[in-house]
Amino acid sequence: MDSGPKRRYGRRLVLACLAACAGLIALDSVLFRTGFYATILEPDSSTGLCELILRREMSAQERYGDRLVATFGNSRFAWSPREIDRRPGPHKYEFRNAGVAGSDVRAWYYMIRDLDPTARRYKALVFGVDDYADEDRYYNPNDDIRALHYVIARLRLSDVPEFARSFDSRELQIAAFRGGLLKGIIFQNDLQAFLAHPIKRLSYVSLCNRSWPMWVYNYEETPNSMAGLQIDWNTLKVTFPPGVNQDQRDTVNNFLAHEPEPQIGRVAAFQRTWYGRILDRYRGSPTKIIFLRLARGPVPRPDNLTHKLSSSIRELASRPNVMLLDEHVFESLERPELFRDGMHLNREGIRRFSYMLEDEITRVLDGTGGGVN
Amino acid sequence: MLFNTVHFFEFLAVVLVLFYASPRVLRRYILLLASYFFYGSWNVKFIPLLLTLTAIDYTAGRWIERTPRGPRRKGVLILSLAANLGFLGFFKYYNFLTYNLALLLGKPTGSFFLDIVLPLGISFHTFQSMSYVVDVYRGEQKAVRDPIDYALFICFFPQLVAGPIVRARDFFRDLLDWHPPSGDDVSQGVLLVMFGLTKKMAFADQFAKVANDYFGNVAAHPGWHSAWSGVIAFGMQIYFDFSGYTDMAIGMAKLLGFHFPVNFRRPYLASSITDFWRRWHISLSSWLRDYLYISLGGNRKGQWMTYRNLLITMLLGGLWHGASWNFLIWGGYHGGLLAVERAVRGNRPLSDKWTWLYPLKAVATFLLAMIGWVFFRAANLPQSRQVLAQMFSGPAGRDLLLPWHVELIGLALLLAIAEEKLDWFDRVAKAPTLVYASALALILFCLELFGVIDAQIPFIYFQF
Repeated sequence: MDSGPKRRYGRRLVLACLAACAGLIALDSVLFRTGFYATILEPDSSTGLCELILRREMSAQERYGDRLVATFGNSRFAWSPREIDRRPGPHKYEFRNAGVAGSDVRAWYYMIRDLDPTARRYKALVFGVDDYADEDRYYNPNDDIRALHYVIARLRLSDVPEFARSFDSRELQIAAFRGGLLKGIIFQNDLQAFLAHPIKRLSYVSLCNRSWPMWVYNYEETPNSMAGLQIDWNTLKVTFPPGVNQDQRDTVNNFLAHEPEPQIGRVAAFQRTWYGRILDRYRGSPTKIIFLRLARGPVPRPDNLTHKLSSSIRELASRPNVMLLDEHVFESLERPELFRDGMHLNREGIRRFSYMLEDEITRVLDGTGGGVN
Repeated sequence: MLFNTVHFFEFLAVVLVLFYASPRVLRRYILLLASYFFYGSWNVKFIPLLLTLTAIDYTAGRWIERTPRGPRRKGVLILSLAANLGFLGFFKYYNFLTYNLALLLGKPTGSFFLDIVLPLGISFHTFQSMSYVVDVYRGEQKAVRDPIDYALFICFFPQLVAGPIVRARDFFRDLLDWHPPSGDDVSQGVLLVMFGLTKKMAFADQFAKVANDYFGNVAAHPGWHSAWSGVIAFGMQIYFDFSGYTDMAIGMAKLLGFHFPVNFRRPYLASSITDFWRRWHISLSSWLRDYLYISLGGNRKGQWMTYRNLLITMLLGGLWHGASWNFLIWGGYHGGLLAVERAVRGNRPLSDKWTWLYPLKAVATFLLAMIGWVFFRAANLPQSRQVLAQMFSGPAGRDLLLPWHVELIGLALLLAIAEEKLDWFDRVAKAPTLVYASALALILFCLELFGVIDAQIPFIYFQF
């Protein structure tokens, strides 16, 4: 064979491989980037839940105009809109809970970007954090792969390199890059489950679209409490009240009664990056960014147990439009009888927290005190 | 280094670049070194064994060619076969034989047990090596002069660990008169590699989950519905797994300028068990036919001898797969079915016409093949009996195959029928670039949506 045909064949192969890769991305995009598939996701999956929340909040934007205050947090930032609505008197702001259990600020960044593309749709965004100081714990927040699943439907092609780089481990970087580029890999299980029972899925999705906001609105947390819980902070010995289950014990042991981890600035860097990016989006926007410190637990961990090196939240609060609630404002909730386990408020705790949240945020937004800028 | 890993594709890319960037005289050495590296990546300890067998058969081939016909020439052949079968027997069958011997002698079953690790691909490369020596003995193949060429024939990495079993004449035709692959070869090669990878990861590995679940705990899945779905899942797994591997091997060989024979030709469309064996693991079945069945007399010595030969051939074919009574029974089952078919059909040639009866015959053949797979997959004889009992009696139970598994089977069936009738694979490989690229994109999309990506389930035939 002379070099002419050989070159032609080589060119054909290279062209075909490039076209095949482009075709693959196109097929993947048609199915997973057009927004169609996000509407039929399993509502009980992490991605499906995130999408339900986003759909609910987007429709709320049309209803409530510029009175909206959205809160972002994980399962610890639990409050009840129903409790707020039950309170007598006019409510100046409409509080919306856009938080997702298990999520973190990296996921919220991508959610907020799609929820508020103009960065002007909300009166305020409220972020609930465990602490204003940065405490490194046993896990690395950069390497929480759940973030990929929460935001996969929101990731754009241009996000992929940066999102993948945000993980520390090489393995997770590859997984995030691969999944971000070809979303079908992440949606694989969901798609297979859909193909297994398509009619059942569509009916459930339709039911959730109709009823899920009301289910969430009417949800009542358990009244169970940790009353009687005691922790000896010198020995980290925990005295549990009778009748607590293993999950409750685990949350106390893992979240509160643990040895301090070496402080290496991991959390600080993570928070500076992702809250920093959110704040950058809202630079010059009328939307206020408010941080609050959540109730630290049924028996709060003494501050002197860990020597915390920095406070990224306080640093960020020096920016215009950013406010910190007084960190002690929710300390009255830090009582065993208001918690259902070592980290989550129970029904009564949520009721009280909801009232306090509305009061404090309203006060800060109205400029009648409480906030620290 | 499994074919379905990133490491392997990195290795393949390096080999392809080095191979084509090097002067022609060095290319054999590059392939040889790459092949030993590939084999060594599994277990370096077995490279001396591979070298020993290579040296024995290379010498035997040369010796046989120099020796005139007669008992001495036969003696060299027997020596070579004994060495190959001796190694194979020791590594593969020693513990099985001594286990049964101990049972016979009434001793504890572990009395003669040795902790032997089966060298990867030994069943394949010994058969390949033996066929070469026999061909030289029969005068059908010239003895290879250059030991490098012979070593490459034995250890060529695309087919070293699980075939296809390549005949010496095919391999040396390509090696000694090597031409760069044509454009069609390259197109087919890339398509075969991707298609094989998809068969493995998107089909075989998905069915593997169901089959492993069922055979991992048969008692937990009572009922004939569960049993049939578990067995069909395994039938699908083994087909897609092995044919996927073979497609990749053939595709990689094409990219390097070698042409391996077809090893699978849509076996589940076979209209009889005889037809099945003309479509399933063709390189093994033709090896067994040429070197065992015909040596035993084939069909030349009357009806009963033909049946006997079929049975012996398939029994040994079964035993080739592994040292257990299950494989022996599996071989015997197929040998028996072949003999029965032969008795019914007589000397009439096999008809492959697609008449209205064909689908019925294909379904019957498929079900018979599935029953055979019970022995192949079950952990032991009691489990085989348990599965067969479930398949043919008792309550219905639960279907272990999900609707999308059935959709995958439907898709595969459509593609197989289309290939049988329209030869679409070749047409796609030769089609205009846009069509070819679209086919590649669809294959990749299927891999993306159904591929078991992070589990790295090994190929079934690597254990043989």
